[in-house]
Amino acid sequence: MQHVTIPQDRIGVLVGQGGETMREIESKAEVRLDIDSETGSVAVESVGDPVQGLKGPDIVKAIGRGFRPEDALRLLEDDLMMFEIVDIDAVARNKNDLRRKKGRLIGEDGRTRELMEELTGASVVIYGTTLGIIGRPDEVEAVRRGAEMILDGAPHGSVYSFLERRRTEMKQNELSYHEFPG
Amino acid sequence: MSAESNERWAIAHIHASFNNTIITITDETGAETLAKSSGGSVVKQNRDEASPYAAMQMAEVVAENILAQGIEGVHVRVRGPGGNLQKNAGPGAQAAIRALARAGLEIGRIEDVTPIPHDGTRPPKNSGF
Repeated sequence: MQHVTIPQDRIGVLVGQGGETMREIESKAEVRLDIDSETGSVAVESVGDPVQGLKGPDIVKAIGRGFRPEDALRLLEDDLMMFEIVDIDAVARNKNDLRRKKGRLIGEDGRTRELMEELTGASVVIYGTTLGIIGRPDEVEAVRRGAEMILDGAPHGSVYSFLERRRTEMKQNELSYHEFPG
Repeated sequence: MSAESNERWAIAHIHASFNNTIITITDETGAETLAKSSGGSVVKQNRDEASPYAAMQMAEVVAENILAQGIEGVHVRVRGPGGNLQKNAGPGAQAAIRALARAGLEIGRIEDVTPIPHDGTRPPKNSGF
């Protein structure tokens, strides 16, 4: 049993229309969710296969960090899918700086965030003071490095070219991966 | 615990930090090591030691070894660095457990044994991110 706290405005998303989303997570991840809508505390209890239930808390956390339920459920697609959080608040000096850094991560009309998703294949969400990433380990690593570059003050152009480079690298790795099946 | 007494179970201790993953399989008392592996035994680059791929390969090797020793299932004890460092297990933990299950070992209870300070020393200063 694990407890996860999510913001008030995400509880509705976690429960879904008439509890639809909640039930979908419960059946797919083999967990039981006990949601306290007053405090936003969610108790995640594994029922059935304990290995499948490992991802339960991560799914709830991801929805709490602004992901759509469909994206959060991608965590179950594959063994290696992982969820990571980059805390923007930890590097921001004050409220205005946080706003500016979030703006830089999102980009004009969301272009930077969209490019991070398209070039790596991971899902990226900026919500509150965090940037959440869902994807395979190498994708998550690439987005994380890119986000850290932006937070460090690198120009957007150099981050785009970094992501572009990582994309070709990942493609090449994929090719060599299939040469030796098993 | 298993119903039949002739089934042999073991404990898989998985120490997953952000720099390495160490898997040690012991008997149920925890005193006798049956098999062990760490990141350095499967990858060349130091930075890959904590990766989920490495954890999977290590778990496969270890699982093969203990299946040969007649172990049927394992209870899992996951631990992160703990103490005044981060309390969450690293990226290798989940991958290792999954790989153990996939290799044909039954997984019993999964327990988090990260050491939690009852107020100990001062934590390191935050280095951001």
